[in-house]
Formats: sequence, structure tokens, C-alpha cells
Amino acid sequence: MSEAVELPKEHELDVSWLDNMGEWGIKAEPSNRGMTLADIQLSSYGELPEVSENQTGRPRGATARPEAYRVGDYGVNKVSEIWLDNAEFLYEEALQRQWSSATDVPWETIEPLPDDVEEAECLLCTFFTEVEFVAGDVPARWIGKTSADFLEPRNVLIAQVMDEARHMDVFRKRALANGGGLMRMSGSTSGFVGSIDLSRDFTEMSTRLHISGEGAVLTMFRMGELFGQNEAEKTMYRLCAQDEARHVAFGVMHLRYLGAAAPERREEIEVYLDEAEGQILAGQQNPASQASETSEALAVLLGGGQQHYDEGYKQLLAIRKRQLKEYMKRVESAGFGERFTNGRSPLPKQYASVA
Amino acid sequence: MSEEEKVTPEPIAKPTFKWMGLTNQWDVRVEPNEHGLRLGDLNVGIYGEVPEYWEDQTRRPRGSVGRPGIPPLSYSLRYKHDVWADCAADLYEEAIQRQWIPATDVPWNTLETLPEEIEKAVCQVCTELSQYANSEIEIISHWQDEMSYGFHEVKQYLATVFFDCARHVEALRKRALSNGGGLGIESKGVANRMILQSSGGWTESVAYLYLVRGTYVFHLIKGLHNSAHNEAERFIYKQMLQDHARHLTYGYDHLKYAVTHKDGQTQIMETLLAVGEGIMARELDTSLIRPAMAIIFGEGLEGAKTKGMDSYLALVKDFVADYVEICGWLGIEKTGRLNPALQQYLDL
Amino acid sequence: MPVFPSEEWFVAVREEYNKDPSLHSGGGGACDTVSGLEIADRFYRIQFEGHQCVDIHESSKTDIEDLDFVISMPEETWRKMVKDIQKNGKASALLTLNSIDLSSEESIAYSPIDDQYRQDLFYRYNQNFQDLMDASARVETSFE
Repeated sequence: MSEAVELPKEHELDVSWLDNMGEWGIKAEPSNRGMTLADIQLSSYGELPEVSENQTGRPRGATARPEAYRVGDYGVNKVSEIWLDNAEFLYEEALQRQWSSATDVPWETIEPLPDDVEEAECLLCTFFTEVEFVAGDVPARWIGKTSADFLEPRNVLIAQVMDEARHMDVFRKRALANGGGLMRMSGSTSGFVGSIDLSRDFTEMSTRLHISGEGAVLTMFRMGELFGQNEAEKTMYRLCAQDEARHVAFGVMHLRYLGAAAPERREEIEVYLDEAEGQILAGQQNPASQASETSEALAVLLGGGQQHYDEGYKQLLAIRKRQLKEYMKRVESAGFGERFTNGRSPLPKQYASVA
Repeated sequence: MSEEEKVTPEPIAKPTFKWMGLTNQWDVRVEPNEHGLRLGDLNVGIYGEVPEYWEDQTRRPRGSVGRPGIPPLSYSLRYKHDVWADCAADLYEEAIQRQWIPATDVPWNTLETLPEEIEKAVCQVCTELSQYANSEIEIISHWQDEMSYGFHEVKQYLATVFFDCARHVEALRKRALSNGGGLGIESKGVANRMILQSSGGWTESVAYLYLVRGTYVFHLIKGLHNSAHNEAERFIYKQMLQDHARHLTYGYDHLKYAVTHKDGQTQIMETLLAVGEGIMARELDTSLIRPAMAIIFGEGLEGAKTKGMDSYLALVKDFVADYVEICGWLGIEKTGRLNPALQQYLDL
Repeated sequence: MPVFPSEEWFVAVREEYNKDPSLHSGGGGACDTVSGLEIADRFYRIQFEGHQCVDIHESSKTDIEDLDFVISMPEETWRKMVKDIQKNGKASALLTLNSIDLSSEESIAYSPIDDQYRQDLFYRYNQNFQDLMDASARVETSFE
């Protein structure tokens, strides 16, 4: 070991940076909601670039350093590709509404169920676990590809990844908590052309994931209060539904922003919606779609057993009708509602067929 | 709607119920205990069998029945030693229980005007720590997607790390913009680049993210906490420290698992760390965190040149000492083999 | 003893909801919304801010474009729900706002400007509204 080095009485200190800080004199004040992201959108710190040239990952508004390494891998660098007007709000809401599957679900209320009902519930839980794998993996992938200048939507997506981790956990817990187990996977969540997984554009992915996929799943989660057999299940589904509604909100508001900010992309988005709608009834991502194992399980649960399958299936058709209507209304809210009146979308006719 | 346009209502599909009875293990009944029903509690029977190699290339939940004909997904991390840490499930639940909300939990009303150079120093540190958190987000974003679902505990835990880092970026930005200051100058990115370029494997990224830089960050946040100027800062740093401690627990635990279960991993680590130490030393030299922390510890410019810098160098010495100790715990002997640019801090 | 439905009754319920922190977490966290409750020919505006229900007052069903959504049910359904809550301490599974909504052909929540995004706030904040209604179990209630 070398001898201890004696410290100088006075060290050299580089202070040149003190004169090169970002915009100074900023004093955000907390609102009645606390110090939210909206409250710090002040002056240049609240200005969004139309196209981000930040390839170093610096916080928006920080002074750039000419010698900083360009380490960003930011394919999503235009504000229209990622933004939504209420991103700060959604993120803060997500933080406020977190829950724990370990302690906020009253697991002690679970009691043995008839075999057919337990199997149906376990199949549904297996499916939902698998679906949430997608909903966690895919947004996570896009976060690192998005410029750090857009921290607000990035943070919303990060909150979504956290929500999905909680969902995959709670469904696994339910499947293993009542004398059942996991059943057969659906396989519908694996990559096919035009699927959520394989999307190479963020908005394509968001349209498919948030508006189409999660919109359908939101209705399923809400239905949990009807087909849930005990307080644990009802709580679990209700809490998941709240989270899911936030994710859907992201999709609607992003599409709304893009449609207005980048009208040259509207026809492209219409094509994504065409594909998503083709899958809405036939695609396996919708557990209430025609001819899927999960729709059979849902019908068993809604009817209260195999012997009441038909009654349950009728309720399922009513769910499907609600899903379709809400999907159409969300797309309309996003600014693409004309497709339902100009004959482009097949959904209005399909909506009538489930009447 | 005309008669021609009316669509025949959908008939009730005849069920097949082929899915019934398709399970690998039934009659599982995991019950909650005084901590509730936790993720780790589910590891019973086949559901707890974490394989050394996960062959499945789909999103099959561990323990569920597979289905033939599913196209593969590109999960590249399929060995347990690529990702595993025994503590992952517990850390996941702990992270959820310990979440905090910067907007409403931080006592923002306790912020008071600071001397300008100190405010600038705090804001500079906030800026660079925020960029550190950003690089943590980005490297996890890269690897999360590559991790197969045989090790869902790890993926779920990393989702909480994601969330922690988002919270840190948020809280640090809020602090910088709430006391008459602003953001500082961005980091040169020496260590950020080291981490983001570690594309060989998750273990390699963890070595740089948590062992090399993360150990330093822990000491940095601790120093900030001890020198906090008000309750708001104290709260932010305390929570960040708690979060970061979890990150390090996973990181160290995973590295330990990797070196004890993968042939040759120790030698790989030795090579990586030899490179990483030099890079980290450059980070320490070029980062403006150094003079900024000296100003904070020295309570101003004058004190920065003496006691302030002394305190910062002592912090770095503690970091290097910890780093050496942890390397030793991992079976990587560093005494006498540390990069001289880091050794100099131990010799102070 | 306040009568359901009445502003007096809703104010009493709001006070019970606000003073119990156990109703403000575990998924029923902070929310910000201004909405309406329609009970027969009576209309109430209700506002949540953060963890508190800051205002409920009787109003008219005019100029309601600012409301995020309105919950509108037949009066007998409202009474059935409140009586169920009074009897059981909280809404039974089939008589929660969510269940009633799903069991109805049309949603019980609507956006005055027909915006599904705002109507979806009923789903996002469902737990808070349910907790508020469940707090009525602590309010001795008379039914006209």
C-alpha cells in the first residue's frame, strides 16, 4: 500500500460552470394538488421541441455540453410521435392510485368454488397474466427509444409498466390461491405481423395496445365485479380496471394529439385502426371475441357454472356490444370518428349484429 | 337500416370446453400470512421451479400449459444466471409498500432561499443525478424486453426500479425548479455511456450500473441527505436512498448469483471492472458533481476549497472502499489490483 | 335525520367520506373531477380534489358541459343501492355503481358533451365514487 497522500490546504475548484446554468430564477409553487409536473412547466422548462435534437439524455432545459456523448437511441424524437396534452396529469394520477396486490386485496375472502367455476377463473387469470406480459414488455421497450425531452409521456409509460407488473402478479396470485392452478396459455399474445409486439412505430403500437387491446380488457376487468365470486376477486378486478382506464386514456389522448399535430399521418393511422378493428371481434386479444377459450370461460363465470353457459353467453354478447360501442366512442374522442359514418369501418354493422 | 342491411344477430356459439382439465398442477392453495399474499409465496410445487434455462420462447406463464405452434419471441436472456437474484420477489413487494409521491409527500413548503452558489450547486447535482436516473431507465428499457418469463420475479422487480427512477427524475426536476434556481449543465456522460454501451448482457450492465456507478451514487445521496438544507431535500434524499438501496441489493445479489453459477463469469467481471474503474475515475474527474458537492459540503464557495472538497473526497474514498469490499465478496480481489485512478482515493 | 335524496344527505355523506383516511388509499387515491349525479328530477354537482370530496350541492341540469360525466340512474335504483348500503355497511356486489352500470343496457354514466374520454373518468375514479357512496352507511337516513 502506498503512503497516505497529504491533502492540500486548499483544493482547486472549477467554478466556471456557475455562470452557465440553465434558465435561472425559477420558483415553481405547489398547487392544491401538491407540486405536480404541471406546476413546473415554467418558462423554457415547459417548452417542448417540435423535434428533439437531444441525443445525450439531458433533462429538458439543462445546458448542453458540447463534448457530451451522444448515447441516446431515440427513434421517437418528434413531439407528435409521443405527446398527449394531459401527460403530467395522468402520471400524477398513477402515482396517487397505486395499490398492493399483497395487502389491498382481501385474499381471506376466497372460498372453494365449484370445479367448473374455479377452472374458468383460473383460465381467465392465466390469460390475463399473459396479456399483461405484453402490456408490460412493449411500452418498456419504447421508453428507452423516446427522447428524454418528453419526460412526461415517458413517465406515464413507466407508470404503466409498473401497473402491468402488478396485474401479472395479482392474476397469478388468484390462480394459485383457491385450490386451482394455471391452465393453458392462449398464445394470442405472441408476435404476428401487425401485432402490438411487432409494431415499429409508437403510435401504431399505442393504437393497438391502448385503444384496441386495453380498451377491450378494461371492459373485462369491469365485468369482474359481476362474475367475481368473492370480495377478493371483485376488488382485484376493480383495481385493475382503474389502472387500465388510465392506459386507455393515454392512447386516446395521444391519438388526439397526433391527429391534430400531424394531419399528414391521418391516413396511416386509419390503416392501423382498420387492422385493429379486424381483430377486435376475431382477434384473440379480446377475450370476449368469438370462438375463444377465454370467451367460453367468461360465459361459464357470468352464468355461474357450465350448466348456465347459454345465459352467461348472452351476458357476454352484451359485454361485446358495450366493448364495441366504447371503442367507437374512444376513437371518435380521439378525432377519428368519421370512419364510423363514412362506411370505412365495419364496426357499426358488427355492432348491430350483436344487438 | 334496410332489410338487406340488417345483420342476423349472432347465435350462441356451441362451447367445446377443450380447455377444461388442461393444467400442469391443480389443487394449489397459497394462503396469505401477516404480510399479505406475496409474490414469493406463490413459488410452490411446479410454480416455484425456476429452471436454470428457460426453453420457452413465448409468453407462457411459468407453470402453465404450453401450446404448440406459437411463433417465438426474441427473448435472449434465458439462463437463470443471466438475470436472477433470490431477493427479487421480496424486493418487488417491498418496493410497492414503500412507494412515495413527490407531489404530495415532500414538504415543499419547507424550501427556503439559499445562497446563490449553494442553490446552483444543489441544482447541478439534481441535474446530473437526474441524468443518471435516466440512463438507468434506458438500460433497463433495453434489457427488460429481452428477459424471458421464466424469471418473472426479476422482470416484475425491474418494473419497480423503472418506477423508482421515474420518480427520481421527477423529484429532482421539481427540486431544481422550485427554489429560485433552474437546471444545471448536463453530464458529460462518461459513466452513462459506459452503462448504455454495455450491450453484451444484463449482468454486464448490472456490473457497471450498480457495482461501479451505483455504489458511488449511494454514497452521494447519503452525503446529500446528511447535508440537506431543509426538510424537503431531506425527504427527497431519504426516499431516494431507500429506493437506491433496493436497486443495489438486487444488483449485488444478481452479480453474486452470476459469478457462482456461470462458468467464466468471474473472469469476465474482472475484465469489465478493469475497464469500468478507469471510466468511473474519469467520471469522477470530469463530472461537475465534484465541485458542486464541495460547495454543498463547504456551505459555500470559500468552504468548498477546504472542508468541502475534503468531505467530498472522503465520500469518494468511502465509495471506493465499499466497491473493493463488494468485489471481494464477489470473489474478485481488488487489493493491489485496483485501477490507480481509483486507488488514489483510497490513499488519501 | 337527512332524507335521501337531498343536499343535506349528500353533505353528511361527504363529511363521513372526508374524515376517514382508510377510504383514500389502496386504489382509491387522489382524484380530480367535477361530475353530476342525476336522481329523478334532482341534480347534484359533486367535486373531488385530491383525497377530498370538496363540494356537493344541489344544482340544475343546465350548463353542465363542464362536468366530466354524469351518473344517472332511475330513482328506484338509487334508493335500492342506498338501502343496500345502509343494511350491509357497503354496497353488495351487484349493487355497486360499476355492477349497476354493467348490468344496464346503456351506461349509467354519460358525458354531457358525448366525449368518451371524459366518460371514462367514471372508470378511472370508480373506487372514489364507490367509497363515497359506501360512506353513507354511517349516515342515518330517511327515505321519503
